Amino acid sequence: MAVTASAEAPRPTTRRRDVRQGLLTALLLLPASLWYLILLVLPLAIVLLFSFGERGKTGGYAPGFTLDNYAAVLEHPDPFITSLTLAISGTILCLLVGLPLAYYIATRAGDRKGLFIILLVIPFWTSFLIRTYAWLMILGPEGLGGFIGDTIGQPSFRILGTEFGVLTGLVYGYLPLMVFPLYVTLERMDRTLVEASKDLGAGRWATFRQITLPIALPGLITGSILVFIPMMGEYVIPEILGYGQVYTMGSALVLRFLEARNWPAGAAYAAGLIIVMLVVITVYLWFTNRGRRTRDVSVI
Amino acid sequence: MDNNEIERVIQRMSRTPLSRRGFLYASTMSAAAAFLAACSGSSTNSAAPSTAASAAAPSAAAPSAAASAGASAAAAEASYAPEGSLFMYNWADYVDLDNIEAFKAKYGISEFTYDTYASNEEMVTKLQGGATGLYDVGAPTAEFLPSLVDQEFIQKLDFSRIPNAALINPQFQHFYDPASPQGKYNDYHLPKDWGTTGIALRRKDVPDEVNTWKQFFEVAPKYSGRIVVVKSAGDVLTAPLKALGYSLNSVDPKELNEARELLRGLAPHVLALDSDTYDQKLRTEEAVLGLTWTGGVVDMREEEETKDTEYIVPEDGTLYWMDTWVIFTDPPHPEASYAFLNFIQQPDVQAKETETNRYATANDEAKKLVDPAILNDPTVFVPDAAFANLEGAHDVSTDPLRVEIWEEFVSSVGG
Repeated sequence: MAVTASAEAPRPTTRRRDVRQGLLTALLLLPASLWYLILLVLPLAIVLLFSFGERGKTGGYAPGFTLDNYAAVLEHPDPFITSLTLAISGTILCLLVGLPLAYYIATRAGDRKGLFIILLVIPFWTSFLIRTYAWLMILGPEGLGGFIGDTIGQPSFRILGTEFGVLTGLVYGYLPLMVFPLYVTLERMDRTLVEASKDLGAGRWATFRQITLPIALPGLITGSILVFIPMMGEYVIPEILGYGQVYTMGSALVLRFLEARNWPAGAAYAAGLIIVMLVVITVYLWFTNRGRRTRDVSVI
Repeated sequence: MDNNEIERVIQRMSRTPLSRRGFLYASTMSAAAAFLAACSGSSTNSAAPSTAASAAAPSAAAPSAAASAGASAAAAEASYAPEGSLFMYNWADYVDLDNIEAFKAKYGISEFTYDTYASNEEMVTKLQGGATGLYDVGAPTAEFLPSLVDQEFIQKLDFSRIPNAALINPQFQHFYDPASPQGKYNDYHLPKDWGTTGIALRRKDVPDEVNTWKQFFEVAPKYSGRIVVVKSAGDVLTAPLKALGYSLNSVDPKELNEARELLRGLAPHVLALDSDTYDQKLRTEEAVLGLTWTGGVVDMREEEETKDTEYIVPEDGTLYWMDTWVIFTDPPHPEASYAFLNFIQQPDVQAKETETNRYATANDEAKKLVDPAILNDPTVFVPDAAFANLEGAHDVSTDPLRVEIWEEFVSSVGG
């Protein structure tokens, strides 16, 4: 970035300078490129390679070429469906909770803005695992679950071990990742636009739909993706709050890699997970971008 | 969980050894303890056990003084030239701290490093990642011996250098049938502790007689939604296979498919698959019947509110696991390694291990020295009626049909 900026500076550019700047750019990009290559591209390539291999004699991976691993994935798509359902509903819930919260902090909280942000961050000071265990107490038979059960006269009622319990944990765990990007975009919003909209006779809903939402959209997209991706692969929360009754992709991967020690079968599931996420995110981005484009046209 | 309860858990954990399989829970709770301690200043009496490196702190034991102490010990003693250091790679909190100090003093070990793993898989993965030559001794579970030997991660033991090995009950030293091709693996290990998988129940909620796996499956529907099961394929498959009278290591498709039917019947009644906090669920009576290990259950019986807890070793046979000492390939300190293996099997040392860890020793002489209360505790030593039907767990966890049945079970528990 800095390099581009200085190139635009009104100085006489000589050929030598170009070369030097090219070198500088390359040098500055090197760490990031290496980072991506070694920590993203290479592992991904290994996963793909392994997914076509065979299981080694003592576990792990043995070279080979077979499509059986993928056939097995198609035979047991249940964990994909469970994870996808959880991640999509979790993202929507995060949005429903996070948007008003971010909006409030950004526009109405006034002096207490900083306080609210700190309150959102504080839970991160404690280990994720401990916070999840804490939900065991909150939702458990001696907590909310038991209370509701007693109230409605159904002693067998419980929250833990259900998809709802898992969803609660997911929304709790990932909500800040939704709120922060939304907050950042809403905080920079020009409030006079809202006033102008009202002056021109738009109601609350119309103002929200035509002014606030489009402005918040970049944050909304970032937040949704930040929340959706980890939810899709989440292992700890379903395992603890789901009592093992909610069988997700995370559980399926652990079963293959660690219990069955069948890396190729696990790799095929991992590849499947990546593909599902790519498809969902592509559709999502296409959908939101299309929305933006049609609006631009209508404005013109 | 209010503050008192947290303190109670912390105290319980600092008082008694952790289930080595309950590591995740343990480390979470001790982290919680540390967190609380940090918040509240001093109210928790800093009772939190350090799960990992408690033994790692190098104490300033003078090597010269210790070398002379070594000569005074008489018993079954080979001569060693210990290198002054020992690098152990083991389950967390799995060796008595006093025993470690005694060993350090006796052999002039100034640097005793205790690294931990949370699962056998983790240990194997680390070795595969090039950790050979880093560690001296470890205690994997016996079913991992073939894999460790075949990958040349551990070395054949020279038993002439471990005279105390003669005190080990042959049943445990011969974990693998000596007549079978797998018999060769018996030369690579020295049994450490063993324990069982069994049935835990709250007697006040479960009046039925549940002494066998067969009865466990029969009564299960009565306690629908109140059954907890450890999340471990080998342990869970043990129940139906033994109820049907087969080997728990069976890979026979006919036998496995019969077992599958029993598991299909059990799955809808299961409340939770939980290897880390199953005792917590039994404690709150959220679950009243369980297919579990012994960890945690020991403590429950000692507490007033939960002393109706019982642990039953099923008479129709069950799985016993065994953790066993090995010396890794190319150990940095081979002499200290042999010295340690012989030292730890000294009857008095070994009896202390059992009393601390609450897992049964394989050492017959040491057993005589163990506190009778622990000796008669079915969670530690198995009653005679069930002993004959115990079967060691072998590494069959990767058999495709077993994996398939396990996944079907895992994905269908609950409603």
